[in-house]
Amino acid sequence: MSLVVVGLSHHTSSVELRERLAFTAQTLPGALLELRKRLDKAGVVILSTCNRVEVYAHHAAMPEKEVCQKIRAFLADWHHLAEEEFRAALYEQEGAEVVGHLFRVASSLDSMVVGETQILGQVHDAYLASQSEQAADKVIHSLFQKAFSVAKSVRSQSSIGEGKVSVSSVAVDLAVSIFMELANKTVMVVGSGEVGELTLKSLVSRGVRNVLVVNRSAERAKALADAYNGEAVAFADLQECLHRADIVLTSTAAPGFILHAPDFERALRLRSQEPVFVIDIAVPRDVDPASAELDNVYLYNVDDLEQVVNEHIVARRKEIEQCMAMVERSVEQFARWLYSLAADPTIASMAKELDTIRERELEKTLVALPDLTEKEREDVRYLTQRIVKNILQNPMTQLKQEIRHHDPHTVIHLVKRLFGLKDT
Amino acid sequence: MWLIMDVAFYAGILFYVGAALMALRHLRSANGEALDLGLRLSTAGAACLAVTFVCRWAVFHRPPMTTMTDSLNLLILFATLVMLWVLRKAAVRALMCFYVPPLTLLCLINAGVAHRYLHQAPRPLPSAPLMVHVGLVFLSYAMFFLASMTSGAYIFQTRHLKRHHTSGLFHRLPSLEELDRTLSGLVSLGYPFFVVTLILGMLWAWFERDLLGTHWWLAPKVLSSPLMVAFYALAFHARRSGRLRGPKLAYFVFIGFSSLLLMYVALTLMNLRAYNFWGTPT
Repeated sequence: MSLVVVGLSHHTSSVELRERLAFTAQTLPGALLELRKRLDKAGVVILSTCNRVEVYAHHAAMPEKEVCQKIRAFLADWHHLAEEEFRAALYEQEGAEVVGHLFRVASSLDSMVVGETQILGQVHDAYLASQSEQAADKVIHSLFQKAFSVAKSVRSQSSIGEGKVSVSSVAVDLAVSIFMELANKTVMVVGSGEVGELTLKSLVSRGVRNVLVVNRSAERAKALADAYNGEAVAFADLQECLHRADIVLTSTAAPGFILHAPDFERALRLRSQEPVFVIDIAVPRDVDPASAELDNVYLYNVDDLEQVVNEHIVARRKEIEQCMAMVERSVEQFARWLYSLAADPTIASMAKELDTIRERELEKTLVALPDLTEKEREDVRYLTQRIVKNILQNPMTQLKQEIRHHDPHTVIHLVKRLFGLKDT
Repeated sequence: MWLIMDVAFYAGILFYVGAALMALRHLRSANGEALDLGLRLSTAGAACLAVTFVCRWAVFHRPPMTTMTDSLNLLILFATLVMLWVLRKAAVRALMCFYVPPLTLLCLINAGVAHRYLHQAPRPLPSAPLMVHVGLVFLSYAMFFLASMTSGAYIFQTRHLKRHHTSGLFHRLPSLEELDRTLSGLVSLGYPFFVVTLILGMLWAWFERDLLGTHWWLAPKVLSSPLMVAFYALAFHARRSGRLRGPKLAYFVFIGFSSLLLMYVALTLMNLRAYNFWGTPT
């Protein structure tokens, strides 16, 4: 039995190489069929994301080396590349290593941004694609199901996914930790900058519907307001309209502060002290830092947001060790189950070997006892069958138990030597 | 019955200790399962305390509301029920970390004094309105208790937001708006209960003044009650009118309940909780 993964990721290859080896949703079904054909109907899954291209395969009989070699050849042929072009970036793993690798990938411990959530969905999609092409066998099915459950446990039992790690997503995250729902909140965008618009986009994608756009250029204000179904406000009315905003996002090129503490004081009075989240991503800053002294004003400038991002990255790194331990425990458990499957052929050949001996010796005995009636012959035959069955029962049970607690390869090898069995 | 009562009481305490450990585990490692288990353990603890209450009532043939153990039992029981009602929304479930450890502390204090009171007959309450009065007092105290713990969570979140430290527990707690809504909801519910129960108590004391002495209204506990009403009335109306919101309201409620607690402890320690302190009953 062989279980392998052959692939390359952001750890081992450039984005250019990954692009050349990538599979699209359209080409994936054809690729799965072709790969299965080449691997003599093995169970296969192809995981292709922007950070990795990996082929997982399980074959009941073909040796690991041969499976890996066929996958490499498939990748080269499918993408019209010479194997040498990507061979150095490839990694190949076998057996329990594959289990561990997939569990880490699905749990986002192998991702570029550790703890990101997208990868689990991508692994799930890859598995579904394989299932819909009937390319997943029993082992592949169990392996991926277990990977999803491990990933969910890692996420729910650790804080690996807590805290975003980009400025715009941190800003949205902070907005969510201040306001219950963003759908009924108003965002005021002052100025227009790339990060500002990205943040606005993130806020809108999280449900914000009311957008006020303030810009010195009325045309630009109107254009941005139209893009987000919002309302353009004249720059001169900024202070007047401030109380309408729950989230203020400033990114102007003004040389000094455009909003001061008294502006917020007045706005808070008008909005019954409801909190205001101010994201000042302008350099130089647009909002007077004294505004942050006011209760219910939460002011974050670029440095503050960067500080939060760094804090989250450090927190996630601290969690990796604990998550790895969780993954390792699951790998051990799954590997034991996997190797217990390997015991089945050994048990079958053990039974076959003893039955052959039984038949041979029985025939000799029956030849030496010609006076036996047909019924007596049947009784003797039945007796030998029962003896063999009883002899086998304990070794079979013990083999399955030992394989769960000791190295399966060693146990199987020992049994094969004891009973003089050939490798299957 | 005695055995059931003892077992239920101490098992309840153990359940609360377990729940507090689960809450602390969630604080440390963001373990969602620990949070769910903690909630289940608190529910089991509350069930055990309810069994204790019923057993004491059955054994002594009167509602157990007057000994220190009974008072703490009722407060913990009501606080847990209100807590379970508040935490029914998944978004605020992490607030359990602020609710359960203080409740467990009360449980442990109760366990420490229970040997004196658990087998002692409670003083009889002369009438049904008085039972309602005492019950509602504990219900409103339970709400103020949870409100003050919620305000603790609000202050925690605000301080982290203001200092730009937003990792760890910060992410697991509800949004400020949600906390504000929970806090004001608890004060808004507790305040009318408190007012109603005081009116009931005063009416009863007026009609049964022979029992309490003519100067019952000069008892420190009675005199402090209007202060508490005024305090929570201020919090209630200022929040409703939008004058008091956010960290100020949170500090106000937190300090208010702390004062109530301190006053209760001080009156108990100085033995000033009787109604006939200034005069003997006629």
